[in-house]
Amino acid sequence: MNRKRALVSDAFKAKKRRNDTERFGAGDDGGEPADMKSTLENLMTLFPRKLFNDALPPIVLKHQLYSVHNDKTLVDKEVNKLQESGELLMFQLGFDSEAFGLVFASDYKTKVLAGEEGKATQATVEKFLEKVVSSCTDLSFSKDKMLREFLFTDSEITQLVKSGVLTVRDAGSWWLSIPNSGKFTKYFIQGRKAVLGMVKKSKYNEVLRVDLEERRTTSHVKFPMKYHVHDIVGAELVESIPTTSGTLLRSADS
Amino acid sequence: MLGFLSARQAGVDDPLRLRRAESTRRVLSLKLNPDRDVDRIHGNGINTIDIDAIEGRYMLSGGADGVIVIYDLENHSGKQQYTCRPVRTVGRSSRHVHKFSVETVQWYPYDTGMFVSSSFDKTMKVWDTETLKPAEAFEFEGNVYSHHLSPIARKHSLIAVGTKNPKIQLCDLKSGSRIHVLQGHRAEVLAVRWSPRYENILATASADSKVNIWDVRRASGSLFTLDQHNGEKSKASSQAENTAHNGRVNGLCFTSDGLYLLTTGTDDRMRLWNSATGANTLVNYGKVCNESRKRLQFSVSHGCSPEFVFVPCGSSVAVYALHTGELITMLRGHYNNVDCCEFHPDYQELYSGGKDGNLLAWVPVVRTADVEEEPNGENKVAASLSAVNPAFQDNWSSDED
Repeated sequence: MNRKRALVSDAFKAKKRRNDTERFGAGDDGGEPADMKSTLENLMTLFPRKLFNDALPPIVLKHQLYSVHNDKTLVDKEVNKLQESGELLMFQLGFDSEAFGLVFASDYKTKVLAGEEGKATQATVEKFLEKVVSSCTDLSFSKDKMLREFLFTDSEITQLVKSGVLTVRDAGSWWLSIPNSGKFTKYFIQGRKAVLGMVKKSKYNEVLRVDLEERRTTSHVKFPMKYHVHDIVGAELVESIPTTSGTLLRSADS
Repeated sequence: MLGFLSARQAGVDDPLRLRRAESTRRVLSLKLNPDRDVDRIHGNGINTIDIDAIEGRYMLSGGADGVIVIYDLENHSGKQQYTCRPVRTVGRSSRHVHKFSVETVQWYPYDTGMFVSSSFDKTMKVWDTETLKPAEAFEFEGNVYSHHLSPIARKHSLIAVGTKNPKIQLCDLKSGSRIHVLQGHRAEVLAVRWSPRYENILATASADSKVNIWDVRRASGSLFTLDQHNGEKSKASSQAENTAHNGRVNGLCFTSDGLYLLTTGTDDRMRLWNSATGANTLVNYGKVCNESRKRLQFSVSHGCSPEFVFVPCGSSVAVYALHTGELITMLRGHYNNVDCCEFHPDYQELYSGGKDGNLLAWVPVVRTADVEEEPNGENKVAASLSAVNPAFQDNWSSDED
């Protein structure tokens, strides 16, 4: 939108381009619009498919996007847009009320259907994917909704829970979930704890980001380091301080 | 800035634009200045401060030891270096001093002849500034966390009081009655705030994670309660439905035009709400560290574009842009947790007080004067000696003529 008069706030936006360490993905340097989809795709390449024998679609957490882009409100808006258009699915992962997992809808459908091959629940799951996942953007479903709007029977709901597509939330409502994602949650929490421990054990409780990304991982850390670093920076479990030698990560607890 | 000045001069721009641009520039350059100091009177932490709304000259501060101090903020000495001196003090030796820590102080909105203070000794006292004796004392059953007088009320003079009891009491200044009670919360009420736009709208925040908006003229319950998910029940777990935060809500602040309400909670989040509809504007400020078990006093700037929020965050004050959620800067200077901060709208200064007992004044960086070449060395010395603020000098002919 072309403005006839500049905003007062624009007068204070003089941003100098810094030639410091390169950030991968779409870094917003003030002028370019933030491309959320390409950032998501970049982050999804970090997800280790082999670890789960290719049974899980690549999952990215919403707060990992905050570590790439500076403006959190913009990230939220863009993610919501993608969710409304049906390209992206958001899941409540369960270990943190604010940690949302993002999966591309196409990936999710292929993996779920591949996992259901030959099982008795296949037909119900297919019906669920077509009817519910394609049209509705909710994260959880109550019994009323399932019975009335989508016309599922009780036994069908039991089958869906069995197949892993729905997880119990409380009496009479369910979260949308990814089948076989228990392993993911376990390894993720383990890895996160180990990486935070690495930062805490360092001298002065701080590590340079590039240093941390290049460290050898212990057996507790199953995901690539970069995945975990994006996670702890985005969730603000460590403070990210810009220095002349790059970004410094300092553990947030005093 | 020269662009703004010439546009104002030529009449291209509205006069308000230059004012806003200069206010914003000043807020963006807030720093601790060795020339500006506030005298240290409190021995223990400072819980609350309030600057009077009429002149912006006097500041009230309430401490953890029950002491209340009134400071004079104006600099009439003509010198650069100025320490804000206390004008009056209600010290430990006074007969009427609060027994335990003072949690909230507020000037009477229309003049500085009266102020109200509430404390953990379960009382709220209305003081006469001249004699420093309480004109009225209200007693409650539980600790009083917060009270607020409406800054714009003409038809009523109610003080809303939030205590350990889930019921909010409205005390009338004129008659001394306290029959009006607002029911609706389920746990202690940590913060109460009147809207600066409508004199009958009250916002209250409680430890049960809910924020209610009330119209005091209505007999039945609250108008609405703020919901962080904006009605999308699917996003939260079922216990978290209809809550403003995922933890205790301990801070409330309206923007100066009353259109938006900011809330902070112990889930380390700050949320911006549209005060008319109660919708969450979903501005993401990131992690705003909050471990306070009591009310957190924070404030919003006034007259800048964009507006800024000043929130105490651990031992520093975080400055965020109001509508984008961007962290502008962290003001570091306190030695211990910061409990309260207040913005002075006329001078764009920020005062903050904390557990270390210090009241710090964050002052915009002064523009350095251009160094001009003086052909005569003596003139330079004479000029620097007087160093009077040019605003105090006049251009009239001298007395010698």
